Amino acid sequence: MLPTFLPLSADQLKWFVEHAGLIVAAPFLAGFLIIMGLRASKTLSMVASVGAVLYGLFHSVAIFQALVTKSYPEPFFQQNIDWFVSDAFTLSVGVLVDNLAALMLIVVTGISLLVQIYTHGYMREDPGYSRFYAYLSLFTGSMLGLVVSTNLFQMYGFWELVGVCSYFLIGFWWYKESAAKACMKAFVVNRIGDFGFLIGILVFFLATKDFWQGQTLLGFVGPGEANLAGVIHRAAEAHALTTESLFVISCLILMGPMAKSAQFPLHVWLPDAMEGPTPISALIHAATMVAAGVYLVARAYPIWLTPDGQMGAALHVVAIVGAITAFMAATIAMSQYDIKRVLAWSTCSQLGYMFVGLGCGAFTGGIFHLFNHAFFKAMLFLCSGAVIHGLHGEQDIRKMGGLSKSMPITHFCFLIGCLAISGFPIFSGFFSKDEIIGAAMHTHPVIGWLMMATAGMTAFYMFRLYFMTFSGGYRGDAHPHESPASMTWPLLVLSVPSMLSGYLGFNLANLQAAFGGASAEHGLPNHFAAFVFGPFGPHFEGCNLPLMATSVCVAAVGIFLAFAMYQTKTIHINKSFAESREGFAHLLYNFSFNKWYMDNLYFGLVDRVFLPLFRGVWTRVDQVVVDGIVHGTGLVTMSVGEVLKYLQTGRGQYYALVIFAAVAGIAWLAYMMPPR
Amino acid sequence: MSHEPQHLLTVLFLVPLIGTLAIACLPETAARKLAIAFSSVMCGLSVWLLSQFNLETAAEFQFVEKMPWFTQPFPVQYFVGVDGMSLSLVVLTAFITLMSTLASTSIGDNRPRLYYSMLMLLIFSVQGVFLSLDLLQFFVLYEMELVPMYFLIAIWGGPRRSRAALKFLIYTFFGGILMLAGLVYMYTQMGVGAGGMGTFDMTELARLPQLLPKDVQIIACLGFFLAFIIKLPSFPVHTWLPDAHVEAPTPISMLLAGLLLKMGSYGLVRICLGFFPYFFIDYGPIVMALGAFNIVWAAMACLVQQDMKRIIALSSVSHMGFVLLGVASLSSAALNGAIFQMISHGVISALLFFLVGTVYERTHTRQLGEIGGGLAKQMPTLFYFWMLGTMANLGLPGLSGFVAEAAVFYGSFTSPMAQSATAGSFVQGWIIVAGLGVILTAGYMLWLLKRLFYGEELAKWKGHLSDATMTEKVVAYSLCTSILALGIYPLMLSKYSAPLADKMAKEAKGHMTIGAVPAANKIARQ
Repeated sequence: MLPTFLPLSADQLKWFVEHAGLIVAAPFLAGFLIIMGLRASKTLSMVASVGAVLYGLFHSVAIFQALVTKSYPEPFFQQNIDWFVSDAFTLSVGVLVDNLAALMLIVVTGISLLVQIYTHGYMREDPGYSRFYAYLSLFTGSMLGLVVSTNLFQMYGFWELVGVCSYFLIGFWWYKESAAKACMKAFVVNRIGDFGFLIGILVFFLATKDFWQGQTLLGFVGPGEANLAGVIHRAAEAHALTTESLFVISCLILMGPMAKSAQFPLHVWLPDAMEGPTPISALIHAATMVAAGVYLVARAYPIWLTPDGQMGAALHVVAIVGAITAFMAATIAMSQYDIKRVLAWSTCSQLGYMFVGLGCGAFTGGIFHLFNHAFFKAMLFLCSGAVIHGLHGEQDIRKMGGLSKSMPITHFCFLIGCLAISGFPIFSGFFSKDEIIGAAMHTHPVIGWLMMATAGMTAFYMFRLYFMTFSGGYRGDAHPHESPASMTWPLLVLSVPSMLSGYLGFNLANLQAAFGGASAEHGLPNHFAAFVFGPFGPHFEGCNLPLMATSVCVAAVGIFLAFAMYQTKTIHINKSFAESREGFAHLLYNFSFNKWYMDNLYFGLVDRVFLPLFRGVWTRVDQVVVDGIVHGTGLVTMSVGEVLKYLQTGRGQYYALVIFAAVAGIAWLAYMMPPR
Repeated sequence: MSHEPQHLLTVLFLVPLIGTLAIACLPETAARKLAIAFSSVMCGLSVWLLSQFNLETAAEFQFVEKMPWFTQPFPVQYFVGVDGMSLSLVVLTAFITLMSTLASTSIGDNRPRLYYSMLMLLIFSVQGVFLSLDLLQFFVLYEMELVPMYFLIAIWGGPRRSRAALKFLIYTFFGGILMLAGLVYMYTQMGVGAGGMGTFDMTELARLPQLLPKDVQIIACLGFFLAFIIKLPSFPVHTWLPDAHVEAPTPISMLLAGLLLKMGSYGLVRICLGFFPYFFIDYGPIVMALGAFNIVWAAMACLVQQDMKRIIALSSVSHMGFVLLGVASLSSAALNGAIFQMISHGVISALLFFLVGTVYERTHTRQLGEIGGGLAKQMPTLFYFWMLGTMANLGLPGLSGFVAEAAVFYGSFTSPMAQSATAGSFVQGWIIVAGLGVILTAGYMLWLLKRLFYGEELAKWKGHLSDATMTEKVVAYSLCTSILALGIYPLMLSKYSAPLADKMAKEAKGHMTIGAVPAANKIARQ
């Protein structure tokens, strides 16, 4: 059994579960108070914001403990209030706590707490210090609200709220033109996803509206069969929903997660979102908000299954989208020079892994990767923030180097993060990534091998980043220094789960058994999979030794190549690529460096096609045709030109006369019409 | 239930009229104070009305007062009363009136007495429209609004004011004629059809015209419908709105968008849907398509404007499209959403026009190119209000616009119209098109915000701008608070209109399933 964290009785734990709404309310309250007045004092703003999320973490741990120790005997707790009522249907909002939500609550509050402490150091001299805390609080509240959403409608609401907080935070330094563009891009791209999400919900709602039978509309869970899967099943039995229509619905809804979790082709906003201050890149654009898409797919998993609960075409789409994203982002990350953008592309790529995990049926694996990734990626971002802070705003890794001497703690943590994300054995990323690759190999071998190759690229670009930043000699002209304690402590705290969280989902006995020749199909239970599992129930896999060995080798090759190219500089392939001016290498390099030309394509479409089209159509129709017709013909005519003249000559009565004559005429006509 | 206060509605009805006369008679210097006093009284009275309103019978008219005047050759009477929907609009009227009176500082010494008395006269007619239960009285008040509005634009407006005012006048008057034609046609048809049945009593009319033959209903409704979509406004008769808004002074724009457009939407629900449900049963899909088209068309037009006030004006067209979509879908949820949208848009558009005014007063230009961005530097507080206004307008959850849009989307997509065998996919297709508005609205609102506030400040603004004044803060805070409150807990408003929406949708559905006019034969001539 897992250890108990808090000395609380079963009744107290139950109370915490039943009042989970407080976790959401606290940051909102803090944000509201800061906006309404506390912002006058920096300290008070910080205390309110940190206090709220600290409380949230405590409460979340209590809930976690209640669920783990079964002090709360039910599998979930749900409470709804009516939000919009009509004869036709009632939309509700509420609080849902189950294992999945409890896990996410801890991730969100934990990382938010550390980021907020870090912020105190990072933003100390910024004039917008209090405003930043207000936004952070509002974001945390929205994200927690998303996590505890009971139904799709509510989730859509909080989904947009986290999006808008992200908009505010990306555009936090509003005077920067690049930030202004980036925040707008982020919001609009997310809205494109939300459009699909909305239409998907509507189509789903139309198909299933007669089958909710009094339970929460569009709700995720319910007692017995009264849950999402049950409703889909009943609707399918009544022929209101077919496999095909459910597939269409799932693809539409998937647009939401694709935008929010930066999946191809809606990923373009995430790298630009790095214009925001680094703490929010860590919190929003690495650990929490971008994982919301993964969370939604996991939460509403039955929508992506076939109506009778089997894996079907919709999950393949999820897996394919994830695979394309993971591969694309990794190829792009290899040529970027901005420390934060490399991390952003790696986030994109890792989110792709999570999609592949969910899409290949590795429900637990996907969530496990989300869990591990949240910690090590938040830490990596915070490290990059410490580097930028220490170099007075420098973000270009060509002007870094040798920082391991001046920034030892940051260096240590960054190395841990790189090892974790590269899938180096014993670090957290290794376990979850292997689980995903294993599942992918099983269902779609092509995707499996693609993911394996991507893992190698990941190791390469992460260590390229590491070597260029921390080893060798310093190439810039600032005076690097280590960050204050409020920034280094969160890093050190995060390094612990980055090293160890992998063991939650891994049972060492399985390894032993594998050496003894046991099959990889079934293994002994591990803590993580026993706590978080999909609709098929807990599933424990054993160790697949050949796969494990391959992935270790691939990661090692990636790290070695980075070492040889950027540390010892004995291999010069990188140079020959970057400096080639023609031929295939040049093409490949530019394709990667220019981010597959996706931005050029989109901006080209908007600037060259849509806006001119709108302008042309609008001018022709509204100004020429509509105004023209109304002005040019008919009754009104007499007026605009002529009447203006009359009015100006003081003969307004003519105008009145015309109108009244017309009225009288129409009235007479109406009277004369043959009644029936 | 407590005893209904006597004559409360009559007092409320008369307050703005008394205000008009009082302001006109007293000295110029007192005009602004008097106007604020009278609008505060209206607010107080409407809150009292709200507290005395019996929620259990929200679908029925309450506080009814009736005073017949003469009956020959046609009945003329004074008749007022409120149900859930008109009550919400009456409260909105009082609130927006107070806000725009407060926001009228820019009028200054430019004939304040005339201005405020015109404003009060305008409010008298707008509020009268919402209170009226007699169709003739409704029509007279509906038309009367033209006169003060014309002068308010033509005297205190921008450089091209006379043309804009005239355009407004012509469009609206044209609508008036159509409505009059519909009204007379309906009256004569009823009078001839069944001797002595002709009436202008709207409580009776909610029942009687449904007994008329189907095509008569449709012709009569068409007159009203055209009149109301001119006011709403809807494509293709919307082009008066941007011109009128651009030229009108800030507080008048607030009233125009916040209240006057609501007369159109109110009429759509009360008269078109209430009297002639057949019109929507037959032409509902087309009206829904029109609504969806408005949403997208106006949003698209917003993306290519350079004038910030024109953007907000066109966005009104886009948002009123939700009313058309909701009303025509005959779903109780969507109808309730449409009513919610009236109130929500009333507050949001008032806020946005007010905010446009604050920027215009400081920069003296509405052209985004000339403003050039970076205003956040010297106007941080206004920037926050702008952010909230922007987010409310693009339908952010937690703010009132989202409630209405969500209700209309969810309601209309599951409405009888969207499920009908003949037009179902047509309707669904148009709702999906309307969904595109979600993207376009975000696009133009955020782009507007970016071009105003983000980026580097132009050199010419350095030291020449100032942040919000106390009055501006009061107005903006009040409007923002209501937007937030309605968005977080929409039931506090929707519970007033829900019974009515449920009732109307149920009746309409009843007609739909029966498929024929039940008593048509009784009333039809021989």
